[in-house]
Amino acid sequence: MSDAISSLSVCALAEKVQRGEVKAAEVAEATLARIERVDPKLHGFLSVTRDAMTARAKEIDAKRARGETLGPLAGVPVAIKDAICTRGIATTAGSKILDGYVPPYDATVIARLFAADALVPGKTNMDEFAMGSSNENSAYGPAKNPWDTSRAPGGSSGGSAVAVAARMSPAALGSDTGGSIRQPAAFTGTVGVKPTYGRVSRYGLVAFASSLDQIGPFATDVRGAARVLGVVAGKDAKDATSLDAPVADYEAACGASVRGMRIGVPEEYFAAGLDGEVAASVRAAIAALEEEGCVVRPVKLPHTRFAVATYYVIATAEASSNLARFDGVRYGLRVEKTRAGAKGDLRAMYGATRDAGFGREVKRRILLGTFVLSAGYYDAYYLKAQKVRTLIVRDFEAAFRDVDVIASPTAPTPAFGLGEKTGDPLSMYLADVYTLPASLAGIPAISVPCAPAPSGLPIGLQLMAPALEEARLFALASAWEKRSPSRAPAL
Amino acid sequence: MSSSHAPRITIDRARVEQIAKLAALSLEEDEVEALARDLAAIVSYVEELEALDTTDVPPTANVRLGASQWREDAVQPGLSHEDALAQAPRAEHDGFAVPAFVEG
Repeated sequence: MSDAISSLSVCALAEKVQRGEVKAAEVAEATLARIERVDPKLHGFLSVTRDAMTARAKEIDAKRARGETLGPLAGVPVAIKDAICTRGIATTAGSKILDGYVPPYDATVIARLFAADALVPGKTNMDEFAMGSSNENSAYGPAKNPWDTSRAPGGSSGGSAVAVAARMSPAALGSDTGGSIRQPAAFTGTVGVKPTYGRVSRYGLVAFASSLDQIGPFATDVRGAARVLGVVAGKDAKDATSLDAPVADYEAACGASVRGMRIGVPEEYFAAGLDGEVAASVRAAIAALEEEGCVVRPVKLPHTRFAVATYYVIATAEASSNLARFDGVRYGLRVEKTRAGAKGDLRAMYGATRDAGFGREVKRRILLGTFVLSAGYYDAYYLKAQKVRTLIVRDFEAAFRDVDVIASPTAPTPAFGLGEKTGDPLSMYLADVYTLPASLAGIPAISVPCAPAPSGLPIGLQLMAPALEEARLFALASAWEKRSPSRAPAL
Repeated sequence: MSSSHAPRITIDRARVEQIAKLAALSLEEDEVEALARDLAAIVSYVEELEALDTTDVPPTANVRLGASQWREDAVQPGLSHEDALAQAPRAEHDGFAVPAFVEG
């Protein structure tokens, strides 16, 4: 029974709980059993919130017993990236500097999930402060790819992807700054959505790069991701950047006709550096969509190759500023003694706390960000990158005059091996080459599994749409999914 | 075109130590060398942006999809004093306690 519950999709599970065929308490029990069985070898979770989930499940069952209608995520477990604040539940952002930090408030997305009667099974593993593409920058050790545990699950939301891929939770929330939802979705054979910048409130998300960060869902299927996004999306008075635009009916878009939809294929995304198997799988998926009645044509995104450099200047600049708050004063780690063992003054405390609390990649990015913002270099690096960002935005504006959606690979390769890229930060950054442009342009994008590599490793098809046109992504992704239903790894 | 040519600077130990000071990071001795190497490689990579002519291109600081709206200036419940101090590494006299400092 337990694995039967765990194999259900978001919508199938919610329907069973709404009808009373399965109790939320049974879902909680099955979820905990599944996590206990498979997570020791995957390390997708940093904490499992057994008691809180069990208590909430009972409340949901009581609500139904009273005759109340349950919400759209009735009894559905949604695992939460550990960068999202949960009241009374430790939130580390994958960093030692927040070890043991217990937020006194819930992020808006958490409040919305609870209002929809969802369950939260726990907090998922991630690269420290969402800085990474493999999960290896987690201060608590990496999550492993359930398709091959010697490989990375992708990052930074690797734990959320693992939780969904391994069917420990049919859905999860992650955050995507430069590909942190889409790339792990591609690596693990799950569906991952980076919504339009501002579509989902970030109140309670530990900030990395504020002009880029966006929360979004993972799910085992397209409709599940659509339902979760529908629940968490929308204006929030607590986040000034959240958009006051109506939330479309994403679920209705799933299964809608895609006949006549114009799909652009950017040649720049199929250039050198793209793995041959990935190229073949993605092209086959695009050809299949053509058979479904879509019109496929080439588009040009000429500034694509500058996205990595642009992103690593802008994101690190914003991170160096955002991470200034971790100073050992109000929360988190504090180290008062200098390395020599002397008790230092306030400045020494800041320096020692940040040295002990931040990992190597975070320090690297703080230093790069501080440098590009520093006097004498601001114009040459930071301002220059902001101007190139404009060119990347314009590339998309021009392309979307001719097409409705742009299709590409999500990542240049299938999941790479753990340890393969850790010695060379630049090669790790290049793993994000296809996801960064949409982040810089603020547009929505989805990664949906396409045909796996001959090795069995998942491959992701990325679809991008103009701002606030998430519904197009769901329509197209679900048309593809009908031909290629999702697979689960054997565990 | 004033910013079209980036000053090519050397990222060495001294430079990293100077940036680290700006970022309030006390680095371990052995970290400085490795970070200098990594940063030099990354900075040299991002210098490829110089190749692009961005004359008359305005910067994008933020992709604004709608005008920001003011929130009503109404009193809302916030964190209690206790909640705000609950996570402090050290709290004294109803406030955040820090080591002594004298600056001038």
